[in-house]
Amino acid sequence: MRLGALEVKLQPRASLPGWKAALISVLAIVVALLLFSVLFVLARVSPLEAYREIISYAFFNRFGLPLSISRGIFLLLCTYAFIVPYQAGLWNIGMTGQLYLGSLAVYAVVLALGGKANPSAAYPAGLIIPLLMLAAMAAGAAYAGVAGFLKGKFNVNEIVVTMLMNFIAFWLVSYTIKEGGPFMGGSGEGEGFKLPAALNAPLVAGVPFTAFLALALAVLLTFMFAKTKVGYEIRAYGKSPAAARYAGISGLRIPVLVFLIGGALAGLAGYHYFAAVPGVYKIPTNYGYFGDLAFYGIICGLIALGHPLPAIPVALLFGGLSVGGRFAQGKLHMNFGLDYALLGVLMITLVAFQFFYRYQIVVTRLEREPADVRVLR
Amino acid sequence: MQHETINGFQRGAPVLELRGITKRFPGVLANDRIDLEMRAGEIHAILGENGAGKTTLMKILYGMLQPDEGEIYIRGQRVKFHSPQDAIALGIGMVHQNRTLVAAHTVLENIVLGHPRAGRVLNLKRAGEEVAALCERYGFKVDLKASVWQLSEGEKQVVEILKALYRGARILILDEPTSALAPSETEKLLASIQAMANDELAIVPFITHKLPIVLATSHRVTVLRGGRVTARLDTANANERILAREMVGREVIFRLERATVERGAPVLQVEGLSALSNRGYLALRNVSFTVHEGEIFGIAGVSGNGQHELAEVLAGLRPAVGGRVLLDGKDITNASTLERWRLGMGYIPAERNEVGSIGDFSLVENTAMNYYFDPQYARRGIVDYKAMRRLTEEIIAHYKVVTPGPDVRARNLSGGNLQKVILGRVLARRPRVIIANLPTQGLDVGATEFVQNQLIEAKKAGAAVLLISEDLDEVLALSDRIAPIYEGAFMGILPGGEAEREHVGAMIAGTLPKDLVV
Repeated sequence: MRLGALEVKLQPRASLPGWKAALISVLAIVVALLLFSVLFVLARVSPLEAYREIISYAFFNRFGLPLSISRGIFLLLCTYAFIVPYQAGLWNIGMTGQLYLGSLAVYAVVLALGGKANPSAAYPAGLIIPLLMLAAMAAGAAYAGVAGFLKGKFNVNEIVVTMLMNFIAFWLVSYTIKEGGPFMGGSGEGEGFKLPAALNAPLVAGVPFTAFLALALAVLLTFMFAKTKVGYEIRAYGKSPAAARYAGISGLRIPVLVFLIGGALAGLAGYHYFAAVPGVYKIPTNYGYFGDLAFYGIICGLIALGHPLPAIPVALLFGGLSVGGRFAQGKLHMNFGLDYALLGVLMITLVAFQFFYRYQIVVTRLEREPADVRVLR
Repeated sequence: MQHETINGFQRGAPVLELRGITKRFPGVLANDRIDLEMRAGEIHAILGENGAGKTTLMKILYGMLQPDEGEIYIRGQRVKFHSPQDAIALGIGMVHQNRTLVAAHTVLENIVLGHPRAGRVLNLKRAGEEVAALCERYGFKVDLKASVWQLSEGEKQVVEILKALYRGARILILDEPTSALAPSETEKLLASIQAMANDELAIVPFITHKLPIVLATSHRVTVLRGGRVTARLDTANANERILAREMVGREVIFRLERATVERGAPVLQVEGLSALSNRGYLALRNVSFTVHEGEIFGIAGVSGNGQHELAEVLAGLRPAVGGRVLLDGKDITNASTLERWRLGMGYIPAERNEVGSIGDFSLVENTAMNYYFDPQYARRGIVDYKAMRRLTEEIIAHYKVVTPGPDVRARNLSGGNLQKVILGRVLARRPRVIIANLPTQGLDVGATEFVQNQLIEAKKAGAAVLLISEDLDEVLALSDRIAPIYEGAFMGILPGGEAEREHVGAMIAGTLPKDLVV
């Protein structure tokens, strides 16, 4: 494209330093917020005031901030569940189903221990809570492992399998908590029974301990990909299954392994939100809302280019905006789903800006053509 | 009408001139004051090794790159290309090495696709007649109604040429025109190229290696090295030695010394091995042979005769449907690839970009492909990347790999340099048996010589080498014993030193020479 004496071109990038990727993401967020202002204006709300409400509640309010962190951590665990298979070139679209299975496993264990009939009994929390987490991770892993096995053994598309298994899990939860299901709560209003108070996850600085666990996992996963043998195998398989086979890496083991790890992390997300976040401690009626939120793990993973550490700020931002959006919607009397609309616009903009991960705009000054040169066009 | 810009050439008249073309990339002077003159009716070969600046020059000629300095003249008129469209409009056509055809469409649809005259409604009948006329004129035989995916590499090449001609090209740029072709296809293509030149087209083939083809077909040769023209001569005055010297910058020995090494114990024993192709038919039929220590066993054959399946079965990448494979007396027929690596097998795959390396990985990570499982380089599940890096640096130094460093991604290396890295990391394991599948395919003269010498060195060091090659001269020069393969079976096993080229040539085509006693 030519603008006067300047020529503007798109050129593929040879490489992308981390700080530039971060800059592009920040730019995308700014653009998304500008675009979304249009909706506020149409609803006769001042965009500045709306954003002030959203951000101050999400990140600077003593009620809002813990909520934002809990949601952000939930999203972060779902993001890991996406990232691990993604590094092996496989797409886990089933975090929703896997986290449902994880939370079902938690309450199955509690039920087996008599926690439903006797909610005020004293339990050895130091023993039972790790057991609940393990159950959640095992259930999520097993559920996702099906997709990994089908992929590795029969080359069945993992996107389709994980996606469809989400629906099975959704209705399975519905069956267990509604209309006389085994996990139905005492009120009979379509929610699960409450976790015995003795088994509520301990809080550290006002947030569930799982938040710190999730942050530590980012370091662990980064180390795994960068330094370990299994991390090498996963990345090699992700870049080129044919070359990985040549190097002696099993085409069955890697898909199964990454889905087991991914599913376990999604299962942990299920434990975190439905058994560790204050004020929840049960499978709520609106569990579908969190299942939908889990899909943003895909977006966070893509924005973070499949790396666990950069996923942390992205997931926390998304979690905070969903909390702040919901709050501002009520406060400003807006009549649409502000939280999801905002996340949606943010997502589209961030994905669109990924274009600049691969291309850059180059502006060059055109020389004046000598008079005898035949220039076409 | 489509030829109006360029018609009326006189044979021998200059049609295209480059003067002082210079192109710089960050850190590289890709083209350094290149002068070039093409004449009508001439086949003008541009020779050069990988990295000599051929690709850059070709892109400048086709308008894909703009030169930093220098001028382009077409029939004496100075021109400037901003994009390939400008070049096409002036009658320049390019036939790419990496085909740009749509596999699901027919030949005719591909030729017409994107043609400016095609308009919104295709007149395929008229186009078909015009293309058929072109085919007849230049001796191309291709079914216009066939889908492109059904075609051989040679036929796809023809379609690319027809596409350029149909768009009115009078100056044809051919990128490595024969690199993917079988010998019979090469002959046909060269005949058509001659016919086109006789019709006053200027043909500009860019060639890395295959000097005999240059000598047999071209009228003039320009040799590039390090971005400069090092020689410009009439083919009549050239020979292989001169061209190779100008290209590589030193004398190249074409006769490799066959090192005689005491043949040792059997290492690789193959008994009645059979395997299926990807399409499910029996591609390898009941093949038996033994490779000993200090021996190069060469398998000669035209592409698609089962040698690729043989290599994959031996490497554990394809299951055998019959027979067995022994490595140092141990049955490895059903062993995994990893076990074979551990037992001392080294495999150099034919597909160096897709299988032998990972383009997005650094050279260090690529080296790790054959070491990540080795206790010496991975302890307690942690890969010792520092040691991997040292090994990679050693390979780079020892094999003279041209690269800015060990952290460069593999996709940025030229074919020859990448092959050196692959060869280096496989040989550094000191394998008992080396399976080298087309180790020099697509490499330039210097890299080919290097790879061949490394295989000889490995043999001298006592390794058993299985060489699979489509280059008859390479098999003849290197092998201690030669097995010509045809339709999945050996036509015999000949002693290397005494095998006649004609005999082996006949056997890979499926005929047993009468005067041959096996």
